[in-house]
Parts: sequence; C-alpha cells; structure tokens
Amino acid sequence: MPSFKKSLIRHIATSTVLLSTLAGMQAPAFAGAGHSGGHGGASTDIGMPGQLSDVRRTIRIVMEDNFFDQEKIIVRAGETVRFMIENKGEFVHEFNIGTAAMHADHQKEMFMMMEHGALEADKINMAMMEMDMGNGMTMKHDDPNSVLLEPGQSAEVIWTFPKDTELEFACNVPGHYESGMMGKIRLQ
Amino acid sequence: MKKRIVLRALLGALGTVMLSAPSFAATYDLTVDYVEIDTGTMKTRGIGYNGSSPGPTLRFKEGEEVVINVTNNLEEATSIHWHGLILPYQMDGVPGISFPGIEPGETFTYRIPVSQSGTYWFHSHSGFQEPDGAYGSIIIEPQKREPFKFDREYVVVLKDKHPHSGERILRNLKMMPDYYNRNQRSLGDFIMDVRKNGLGATLSERADWGAMRMMPTDIEDVQGFVGLINGMSPDQNWTGLFHPEERVRLRFINASAMTYFDVRIPGLEMTVVQADGNNVQPVKVDEFRIAVAETYDVIVQPKDDKAYAIMAESMGRSGYGFGTLAPHEGMRAEMPELRKEAPLLTMADMGMNHRDMGHGDMGSGETGKGDMAGMDHGAAPSGNSAMGNAAMDHGSAGSMPGMDHSGMAGMDHSNMAGMDHSAMAMGNRADPFYAAGSGLTPKAANGGKFLSYADLKAQKPLYADRPATREIELRLTGNMERYSWSINGVKYEDAEPIRLKYGERVRFKFVNETMMSHPMHLHGMWSILDTGQGKWNPVKHTININPGTTVYSETEVDEPGQWAFHCHLSYHMATGMFRKVVVEGGPAVATLKNGN
Repeated sequence: MPSFKKSLIRHIATSTVLLSTLAGMQAPAFAGAGHSGGHGGASTDIGMPGQLSDVRRTIRIVMEDNFFDQEKIIVRAGETVRFMIENKGEFVHEFNIGTAAMHADHQKEMFMMMEHGALEADKINMAMMEMDMGNGMTMKHDDPNSVLLEPGQSAEVIWTFPKDTELEFACNVPGHYESGMMGKIRLQ
Repeated sequence: MKKRIVLRALLGALGTVMLSAPSFAATYDLTVDYVEIDTGTMKTRGIGYNGSSPGPTLRFKEGEEVVINVTNNLEEATSIHWHGLILPYQMDGVPGISFPGIEPGETFTYRIPVSQSGTYWFHSHSGFQEPDGAYGSIIIEPQKREPFKFDREYVVVLKDKHPHSGERILRNLKMMPDYYNRNQRSLGDFIMDVRKNGLGATLSERADWGAMRMMPTDIEDVQGFVGLINGMSPDQNWTGLFHPEERVRLRFINASAMTYFDVRIPGLEMTVVQADGNNVQPVKVDEFRIAVAETYDVIVQPKDDKAYAIMAESMGRSGYGFGTLAPHEGMRAEMPELRKEAPLLTMADMGMNHRDMGHGDMGSGETGKGDMAGMDHGAAPSGNSAMGNAAMDHGSAGSMPGMDHSGMAGMDHSNMAGMDHSAMAMGNRADPFYAAGSGLTPKAANGGKFLSYADLKAQKPLYADRPATREIELRLTGNMERYSWSINGVKYEDAEPIRLKYGERVRFKFVNETMMSHPMHLHGMWSILDTGQGKWNPVKHTININPGTTVYSETEVDEPGQWAFHCHLSYHMATGMFRKVVVEGGPAVATLKNGN
C-alpha cells in the first residue's frame, strides 16, 4: 500500500483534492460516489473544487472514533475554504461534503467496499479498490469532495461552496454516519 | 433510602423510564419485596425491588466505588447478581459460591469498584426469584466520550412474564416436559407429511425425533407468557418520547427467564453500537435476536412526526412484547402483523443435516434456498475442512459433535476475488452461527439485514490477541424426557468445579448436543467470542450457542476467586446446566467485607 508523508500530501493537494492513499488515480471511475455526478442528484449544486489562491480561511477538522471534533461548520455562501483534516482515531474515516441524500447513496457504496474487503476497519486495501465490482465500476475513492484516511493520515480539501444548498460533512464508513459522525454545513 | 431511587422506581412503575436525570450517587439502597405485577390482563404476586418489578435503573459512573445496601423483606433468602460486572467475587451475589446469601430481614452491603461502562442488569440468583420479577437495569457512564452520539436514551428491558410462578413451572416441566408446548404435532400433521413426503420418509423422520426425545416444536420450553417491555404488556404500551431527527439510544436488555426475542422497529434502521456492555463497530440492521441475558444498545433516528412500534416477537413466535416510540404522549404505534408461523426445528438442529452439503453446490448463487439456506460464500474455502459431512452417523445423535462452524465465521476478505457478486445480496449472507438448514435461522421481517454474531466486532479490543493456553470442551447436554440439563452429561450437583489458573487464557469449546439454544454466562470474567476476526473478536458476558453448532469463546483468567458458569435459561440452570469455576493462584483475595 502506498504511504506518503504529510508534507508530500499537502504539496500534491494544492489544487483540488487529495486522497493520500489514492494519489495518482485521476479517472473519476465511480461516478455515482455520492456527489453531483449520479443518483439523480445531477441538479444539486454542492459547489466545486477550489483554488488555493481563493482560500481566505482554513478550517481544521479532527477525526476521532467515531466522531468529528466539530458538530457543524459555518461558511459564507460561495466561499472557498481549505479544510485540513487529520485522522487521530484508530479507524479509517472519511470527510465528505454533500447533501444528506448523496451521503445515503455513498453509504451503500462504502458498505459494499467493506463487504468486499476493500475497506477494513483500520485500513484501506488499495488493490481491491481498483477491482471491477462486476458492474463496470471500481471502488476507487477519488472524488474531489471527499477524502478517506487511514489512522494517522492527514489531508486537505479545498472547496468552493455554492450559494444555498443544504450540505453536510460526513463520514460514510459503514455505521459511522448513523453513530453521529456527521455535521451540518451552514451557508450564510 | 435515597429519594431519587424511590422517585425513579415510581417513574418506572408509571412506565416513563426517562433517564434524563442521572444520579451519580455512590450509595444505593435496595429493598427486596413481594410486589404485585399487573399486566392489564393478569395480576400476580411476584418479587421486585423498592416495591416494583422491574426494579429501578441504577446509574453508576466508571471509576467510582458504589455501595449498595440490599435489605431482604422476603420470607426466604435472596441475593443480587450484577450481571456482566467485573468485581471481587464475594460481591458477585451467587449463594453458595460468592457468599451465603441474604437471609430474611438481613441487609447485605455490596461494594463494587466500577471499572467498566455500558448497559448491564441485575437480578436475584436465588431460586426462581428472577423469573418471578426480581430484576432491574444498570447503566454505567463511561469516563471517556463514547464513539457515538445520541440526544436521549431509554432502557428497554424485555421479560417473559408467565402467570405461573417459577417453582410451579419447573414442577410442571419435570412432570411433563412438553407441558407448555402448545404446538405439538398431531396425527393430522402426520397424515399431511405422509402425503407430502411419503410414508417411509415420514416414519424415519419421526423416529429420529423420537430418538432425540425432542419435537421440532421444542423451540421454547415455556410458552404462555406475555412479553413485557419495562414491565408493561403490549396492552399497557410502554412509550418512549422523541423529537423527530433526534438520535435515540435504546438499551435493550433481555431479562427473560426462557425467551429469546426478535426485535425490530418497522420504519427505522437500528445501528448496533454495543453488545453486552462493550462497544462494537457500528452495524446497521433491520432486526436482531437477543438471547436471554444479553444486552444490545442501538441508535435510531426517527425522522417523522409519528409513532413507531418496538416489536419483540419471541423466537418460537409464542408471544411478543410491544411498545411505542412516539413524538407525543398518548400515542400507540400500529402493531405490525405478527409472524404466526412458528419456526420448526430441522434435522440440522440435531446436528444431522449433512447429507446434501456437497461442496460442489456451493457458490452456485442460490442462496436462501431449501436445505442450503445460503451457505456463506466468502467463507466456503475455509469451511470445507471443518465439515466432515459424509462420515456422519445418523444413528448416534446423542454423541454427535455437530458441525463445526468456527471455521466459517471468519471471512477472509483478502481472498474474495472469485466471488459471485450476484449472490451477494447486501447483508443477506447465511448466519454461520446457525447450523446450515437450521429451522431457527432468523430472517428480517422486511427482508433486510438481520444481525449475526459474525457482525459483532470490538470497537476497541479489551485484550491483546494471543493464542489460548489450553482448550476446555463443554458439551451442552440434556435429556428432554426427564427435563434435566447438564454439561458433558453431568449435572451440577455431581460435577467437579472447572479449575482455571490465574493468568492463563482458556479457550472454551461449546458443543451444543441438544436441540435448544443455550445462552452460556460466565461470571466475573469476560468471554471473548470467536467470530474468526482475531483482534476484533467481540467481548461478551453471555454467549448463545444454537442447536447443532459448536462455538468457541476465550477468557483471560484475570480475576481470582470462584465463580458461576451456567446456561441462563432459568429452568436449564436450575436442573443442572451449571458449573462452578475456581480460579487458582493470583493475588490474594481480600476477606469478605460487608456491612454485617
């Protein structure tokens, strides 16, 4: 499994996303992975990857088992925010920006990842993430609105928020969202 | 007596067991009393605590020492066992093993250093006081933040309340083991089966059952009960209030004498976060089966402004508990349709169903069909060696070791490349903790996910994983004809204690040679249930072993003293499925300290 140092990750991350363990995989292979591309959510504007030059504010988010250190996030409509996310827990956690419906869809996919062994409680099995799931899709987890982190890993997400969508940040690892590992994003 | 406890007992009696006013008092006073138990349709004299049955919810805090003064107002000796609590053995409350018991009029002072957190319960360990109503719940607040969030919580204690006293029930069972079995097979059933299966097959099947001295309807020894939720019958409709969108933690405790319940809340998914007081990695289910003495904590998030039913049907479908989660007072959820069809035990539950398990059939994608009952595809490769099927001798049911399912529990995820994905309906794999083809294998009422032991993974392993130092085989045995139950064919009064050495890690091999499920409870030390998941194996205080299966659990022998180890079905325990465990060595045990 590839393993990167934090500094390297941050460097790679300057433009859009970064998913430490998935660096280098660019193709958006899992189009329905819980964002605007699929599952009938095409019209929902959840915002888009932002540019570092537009960032005026950084929000630090710490992941624990199984909760975020913040209950909600308040941002200005249209604002570009840099999230610095650190997994201080002993389990794999996700930070994902989307609507409640997108998270619900994505939870099904993450459940399948776990069922198939691509995702374990405390590690990500990269080789399996790339396997064809029998429906032409893989479980690659490389969407710009989310990062999936193993224990001890850190990452950044730079995101430009839309004007007015009801968004949540969430961890969609099976059972975590339901356990309360999510929060509202209030757009002002 | 503390005012708060009285208040809570009153609230409990009124059915509003809201736990919003936590009490961290280090001292509790409990009285053991004769009480009236009113289920709406029957009033019986029973036994309770502080004037009511169930007794109060005791709320402790991890790290504190609690002092509990128990005063016996009965005309017979009593005791309280703190089920699942790790404590000095003299405080464990088993007459004849931990202490002599509490005589009428006497007050015994328990001192318990609270070293754990979670949902537990307490009950009398004397005679049939527990079936007669002597039980209550315990909540222990953790020192650290829990790995889940909730806005409110309720204890949901399940109980099989029977019109007969425990003593009378056992007398009747001894006289006629099928006294409480309503669904005996009749001549009519026989004729139907002959038509369907032919005379030869039907006769041979009947002969097999006769040799086992069992009937396929022997799932519940004691029928004719009413299911209670927090002391309230379905008519009395225990109700827990919520605001829509809130996360509600439900702490399910099965305080029944004999009955397993299948629990669901139609319209809500339940996220299981704790089992037997220990956090588990959260798993979302539609329904779960709770064995006698187990606890499960679930989180639900009702989103609509409507009443939801808490439905607890007994495993044999002979009774049910019912309550409501409601956004306002005075609501009653619509009762879901009862699943009338009682499950029938099969030859698999005798440990006999090995005839059609040719491995060539596996992986065909035909899950949930006939005898195969959906073999666990992922585990098939590792399960093969454990299933010595062809050699099974159907004539020797009594000594049949049963299938070894231990090898099937652990899904080796690294090895799944060739899996048939079409067969892998989400969450619908067969449960490896039931014999393949077992009549007891549960199915969710809505066709969704039913919790299995295989789903339970420790959130934070309590012990480092290490190989066991030795294995002890415990065959769960019984003679239904005489209503006597035993371990390795020997009843408690004729048995030597099980001797363990302080510091060892012992592996118990439970081989269920009977046709009933047995919830085995080791006092004083944890049981690490082997689900084949290594360090993630969950830690429990009660391990259910289904008919025709072998289940392993391991125990780090880290508490000195002597302990009880028994089947938690009241009438199985009382007739001999019980052992004393003696831990040799270890730190000197302090002399008994109490208020006497």
